[in-house]
Amino acid sequence: MIDGVIETTQLCKTFKGHAALRGLNLRVPEGSIFGFLGRNGAGKTTTIKLLMGLLHADGGSARVFGTPVTVADGAIEIRRRIGFVSEDKELYPYMTVGQVIRFTRPFFPKWRKDLERRYLEMFELPQTRKVADLSKGMRSKLMLLLTMSRGAELLILDEPTDGLDPAATEDVLRELAGITAEGTTVFFSSHQLAEVELIADHIGIIDRGKLIVSGALDDLKARYQRLQVVFADAVHSPAQWVEGVEHVRQDGRMLSILASRNVDEIADQARSLPGSSVERYPVTLKEIFLEHVRSN
Amino acid sequence: MLWYKGWLETRWRLVFSLGIMVFFLAVFYWIGIKGPPPKRIGDALGGVNVSVLWIGAMLAGAGINTQPGFQATRGTHGSTYFTLSLPVSRFRLLLVRSSLGWLLYTGVVIAFCCGYWAVFPPLRAAATGIEMVEYTGMLIGYGSAFYFASVFMGTFLDDLWRVWGSIIAWFGLSGLFYFSPLPPSVNIFQAVQANSPLAVHAMPWAALGVAAVMAVGFFWAASRVVRVREY
Repeated sequence: MIDGVIETTQLCKTFKGHAALRGLNLRVPEGSIFGFLGRNGAGKTTTIKLLMGLLHADGGSARVFGTPVTVADGAIEIRRRIGFVSEDKELYPYMTVGQVIRFTRPFFPKWRKDLERRYLEMFELPQTRKVADLSKGMRSKLMLLLTMSRGAELLILDEPTDGLDPAATEDVLRELAGITAEGTTVFFSSHQLAEVELIADHIGIIDRGKLIVSGALDDLKARYQRLQVVFADAVHSPAQWVEGVEHVRQDGRMLSILASRNVDEIADQARSLPGSSVERYPVTLKEIFLEHVRSN
Repeated sequence: MLWYKGWLETRWRLVFSLGIMVFFLAVFYWIGIKGPPPKRIGDALGGVNVSVLWIGAMLAGAGINTQPGFQATRGTHGSTYFTLSLPVSRFRLLLVRSSLGWLLYTGVVIAFCCGYWAVFPPLRAAATGIEMVEYTGMLIGYGSAFYFASVFMGTFLDDLWRVWGSIIAWFGLSGLFYFSPLPPSVNIFQAVQANSPLAVHAMPWAALGVAAVMAVGFFWAASRVVRVREY
């Protein structure tokens, strides 16, 4: 059994002097739903293309199912076990929906006809309509059908819900959650943090080509807490906060502190300040994300 | 299924090419029926020479068109990423796509030559059926050289440069043949025009050999580029 379905070590990629990836170390556990987050241009799509063998890395290594993606025969076998949704979700415009499905099906021996029928019905995809005549949302749905029906062990999805209406997004998220119950690993990038928080059990935040946060979402949310310190009169700040304070924001007589570790010690330190009262609050994924990408 | 995809991608271009072919044949038919009888063989072949230019351009275009089927270059967008995410080697994508394109356009060349022979009486008066077959073979060889040159260009050039690269390659090769000290017997341009089997009543084997070597060489080079980029 492979522990990390995806593992990269010091992965580097440069485009015309611009470093898109600068030593990316990533590990995606088997059976997880891994949300891959980052700002525009952070390196998410480049990472995905490298994993799919669509780009050559300039340095470092990447393994999927324990096989290096740089080995040609291995890469073909890897792709047989992967479902992939690209960022632009473009398919062959000259084919009909039915033709694209019939074209894709034979490449994947574990193709799930039951899921194909289910998604055709759920997404209301007209089999005789040309791909060129589909809306962006319908193209996304078709791409998801082609990906999730493959019987793949790993789904690599670049912005899978982009272009979908809220109802379809809900359906897709539910299906993704259901698919992992059958043992499939899902690695997906998204800007929709609420969606990620809803279904992901692991997250990785990439910024400027480096992974700056990675781990189980529950652990991260347990680790991070916001402390609200309200002062009776003037605000007092210590000369130095206990290690673990990520960010302090002052708002009138109140300090808002985001802590990533040593939360108890930080709370004690805050209580020791004159005239202070301290409240602890859980944080959202959005807060964790914004804090890290702004401070990086 | 790759053949099926290739066919869907190529069929309208094939229809377009057949349409142009029918136009040329209609013109030759009209000239053959209404026009004055040719005084020299060259007069009968003038139209063929024009057609040869068209066939060269058509084959180069067909070669250029294969590129999105197997290669992701910097300007890649659209469905290429979907194709490349399939569990198929890039070499196989290249092989299927370029073979299909070559077969279809070779079919057009054969149809064109058969049609030309059938509708243009001056040609039948100037050459034998065997010479027409030889000429067809030479035309396929000549076109193959440019077709695979374009396939090769498609392995490393982006977008607009693919087209310009193929056009420059065509002019570059014609310049090489006309202005270098190479013997006329290996000139593949002359082998489908002034030195063609229809004009000199002999098969230009040396030129056919050169064309075949060029075609195989360009395909080999294309496959090397694709294998280097293979993951």
